[in-house]
Amino acid sequence: MISLNSVTKTYNEGRPNEVQALRGIDLTIARDAVTVLKGPSGSGKTTLLSLVGCMARPTSGRVSLNGDVVSGLPERFLTELRRTTFGFVFQRFNLIRGLSVLDNVMLPAAPLGQSHAAVRARAMERLEALGLVHRALMPVEHLSGGETQRAAIARALINDAPILIADEPTANLDTELTLRFLEIVAALRAEGRAVVMTSHDPRIWGAEGVDTVIEMRDGQIAGEYA
Amino acid sequence: MIHWLRLQRSLADFTLAALGRRRGKNTALVLTYALVVFVLASAMFFAAALRHETQLVLADAPELTVQKLVLGRQAQIEAEVIDQIAAIRGISGAKGRLWGYYYDRISGANYTFMVPTDPDLVPPAGSVIIGEGIARSRDLEWSGAPLFLSRHVGDLQKFEVVRSFEGDSALMTSDLVLMNDADFRSFFNVEPGLFTDVVATIRNPKEVGTIVEKASHAMPDLRFVTRDDILRTYQKVFDWREGLLAALAAAGLLAFVIFAAEKASGLSAEEAREVGILKAVGWDTRDVIAMKLWEGGLVSLGAFLLGTTLAYLHVFAFGGGIFAPVLKGWSVIYPDFALAPHVDALQLTTLALLTVVPYVAATLVPIWRAASADPDAIMR
Repeated sequence: MISLNSVTKTYNEGRPNEVQALRGIDLTIARDAVTVLKGPSGSGKTTLLSLVGCMARPTSGRVSLNGDVVSGLPERFLTELRRTTFGFVFQRFNLIRGLSVLDNVMLPAAPLGQSHAAVRARAMERLEALGLVHRALMPVEHLSGGETQRAAIARALINDAPILIADEPTANLDTELTLRFLEIVAALRAEGRAVVMTSHDPRIWGAEGVDTVIEMRDGQIAGEYA
Repeated sequence: MIHWLRLQRSLADFTLAALGRRRGKNTALVLTYALVVFVLASAMFFAAALRHETQLVLADAPELTVQKLVLGRQAQIEAEVIDQIAAIRGISGAKGRLWGYYYDRISGANYTFMVPTDPDLVPPAGSVIIGEGIARSRDLEWSGAPLFLSRHVGDLQKFEVVRSFEGDSALMTSDLVLMNDADFRSFFNVEPGLFTDVVATIRNPKEVGTIVEKASHAMPDLRFVTRDDILRTYQKVFDWREGLLAALAAAGLLAFVIFAAEKASGLSAEEAREVGILKAVGWDTRDVIAMKLWEGGLVSLGAFLLGTTLAYLHVFAFGGGIFAPVLKGWSVIYPDFALAPHVDALQLTTLALLTVVPYVAATLVPIWRAASADPDAIMR
């Protein structure tokens, strides 16, 4: 369970370009569910997702993971959590250009110091499950939109993270690829993983497998629907 | 430990894959870097080998050389002085030497003439033993070709060449002409009973300093030169020549440092984005820095190894063709010889530190700043 209590987030604090991205968020996200954060651009979805995924600390308030407060932890503990608890799929997927699909997928495992052969085998397994094994050695910039998305999902799952964090994963994807993504999410859910994602795509937050939709506006929660 | 090794292997794998992406740019960087190392290392190898060679050759040189000074210049020394020197306590023997320089107008070169002290090397009357440099400069291509020498217009002396020195001793013998005592005196008009200088042997080498001090006091018109003095002079000459090349290479190094600093002073937007991705997917600041250390290490160490290997081959396999004119000396007759490989480990380590450390340090500073940034920047 992930809880946020009175969380605020201000960027560029004290400067002329100060932005208050989140204002007093109180929220609980279930571990065994698919949660979607929806809302217009600038509503604070991505900022909230980064706080949930331990990418940033709140300006005030607390973020807890399974009852433990994590928002005050030093950077290296947050890194450890990002490495072991969360898998990330970014809005533009953020794969590293020039590297092969396999190299990209193996990246999050590099700091773990595991056997290279074991990590490689695991990466190939993930790619196999996502139908990308034939593209393993191809540079990522040669992949199609759907393949890039699946490569990003494979990378997010390489460390067997129990929580998948996805930021606008279906932006710029057509309906067929969006449906394929929802199938993958359903499969992850069936494996017992939690998925937290942002989207302003009605095909996503209206989908069958989504357990909770949290609507955001102007850095606040405007509504929560089961 | 295994965990650490695996971590390093993963980081190195990633670094190699990342370097491979900008193959052209990184290859150019390594080659430029290697070129600077090559120049420095060539100068270093060459000078170290020459010094080593000189040391070996001078090991057989006389322990003490005595010269007579007249008006502050070296003058011929009388035979009776030899006995006085031999009588100094601690000196076990003294011998007069005949040697001098001769300017050969045909080849435009200076030759060193000498009467050998070793009886086995004394050629018969009318004959000479010459260094390989003289044979080359005079085009004495076939065996048995005579050497003609002229002291003034209308004068021509013919000497049979009974032997010539080969490569091994060329550093010292290249411009040498050996002849017997009578021929030498006759050719250069040296009166009987006069010598160029005197060489002396010392009973206990540790006492050289004391003997020289006492002898200089007793015979103030004589100059006593020890083997160490000669060795020091050679070392200084080579140091100076090496310094000349090192100064040139330092200019190259400086240019490279400016280039590296410019490259390292700011990360490109692409690199900063990549650091953000790595941090977001769970890389620690330390992992990112370690990865950059690998990158800097691989580039600079690669360039260092490439540069030093090429320099080694250049100096010891190809005779140091590029820098030989500067390092061997300024002369018409360059000695033709192959240097025996000799590497000064301390100098090599210094070169490695001077080339590898600054580059690694220069690449590290900007990455430190980028790697310390919050990973959520990549989300925004």
